[in-house]
Amino acid sequence: MQPPEITLVECSKRFGDRLALRKATLSIAAGETVVLLGPNGAGKSTLLRLVAGLLRPTAGSARIGDVEAIAAPKAVRAGIAYAGHAPQLYRGLTARENLDLHLRLHTTTADTGALLERVGLGDRADERIDGFSRGMLQRLALARATAHAPVLLLLDEPASGLDADGRALLDDTLRAAIGTRTQVVASHDHELAARLGVREVRLDNGGIA
Amino acid sequence: MIGAALAIARVKLVLEIRRREVIFAMLLFIAATIVIVHFALSGDTGAGNRAAAGMLWAAIVFTAVLGLLRTFAAEHEGGVLDALLLAPIDRAAIWLGTALAQFGFLVVIELVAVPVWWALFFQGDGPSVGTVVLALLLADIGIALVGTLSAALALGARTRDVLLPVLVLPLLIPVILGGVTATYGAFGEDVGGLRPLGFLALYDLVFIALAWGTSEHLLGD
Repeated sequence: MQPPEITLVECSKRFGDRLALRKATLSIAAGETVVLLGPNGAGKSTLLRLVAGLLRPTAGSARIGDVEAIAAPKAVRAGIAYAGHAPQLYRGLTARENLDLHLRLHTTTADTGALLERVGLGDRADERIDGFSRGMLQRLALARATAHAPVLLLLDEPASGLDADGRALLDDTLRAAIGTRTQVVASHDHELAARLGVREVRLDNGGIA
Repeated sequence: MIGAALAIARVKLVLEIRRREVIFAMLLFIAATIVIVHFALSGDTGAGNRAAAGMLWAAIVFTAVLGLLRTFAAEHEGGVLDALLLAPIDRAAIWLGTALAQFGFLVVIELVAVPVWWALFFQGDGPSVGTVVLALLLADIGIALVGTLSAALALGARTRDVLLPVLVLPLLIPVILGGVTATYGAFGEDVGGLRPLGFLALYDLVFIALAWGTSEHLLGD
């Protein structure tokens, strides 16, 4: 599967009276990594959820390759990974059970032990995650998001709660896929784009600055 | 799709076994209802089989609503629904897996509650077991289907705890009618043979088709 191009054209999203994203136009090349920067409420999360196809634009369009994100067929969804503010993990399951379920739903196989080892959770694999710290949940969310080898990775503030080792792991994960995976990362880390040597896009008050 | 649905159902059953959040509350509620109504009716010799049948079905439906309030709770608290929506599966699989789990919860509580009902209301001359069991199974399928569909509808609402019973109870009236009538038949009353059971089966089929056709839209934005 090839990494897709992302295209937003005059894309807006309204929640009640609030315009969360205002006529955003943005093009991200296939395999490109982009860091979204902006203050809280700037529209970063909304933009990511629109690209993931989890929200329907109020106006304009958000496309993954040739298809509207909101109507992405299963074949396209198979290549998308999105990690938002919530870890998207069942709290009552163990780390391994969560990954097993994810892989099963993606009809793919992987060594869950190795995946957990890679994010530093190898020795906690069989613990229920309702006892995990915020940083551990973020590590597990990163493992989940990359477990099925996605070609489009969307991460919303993935460094929040991570310690220094966790942030290094995140940087390494992103750096290793530059050019081979389209990646969009919403972050408050103003150095991230420079560290990775990638483009940054600034949002402010729902618009692309 | 069936594989994904079974995987989701299995997770929900595992979560329930570990956390005991839904079934325990449902069991307590239905047992308390049966016992209280038994004592409330004990002085009324005219109440008889019909009152017992009506009480059982009302208790089952209200208990089911109690469980349905937690239908998507595990997905909601961890943001899991986003992951399920992005997975390359039919969205009907999310609904079907959840409905299967709800069906399992109902069967478990009935395995405890129905013998209690039987022991309290009948002294060896109760209704035909086969008919009651068949009616309960058909009704459980309907309640799980309609309940999960309604829970998906109410998912985005801020007042979903209020909205869900308002949505689901009117839709379950045919289940109560079919179940109660089938139970009258199990007591030997003439209710038109297997007609009440056929009615419950038809209800299930209608809502399978309805849920199948709408789940793609209900569970998205």
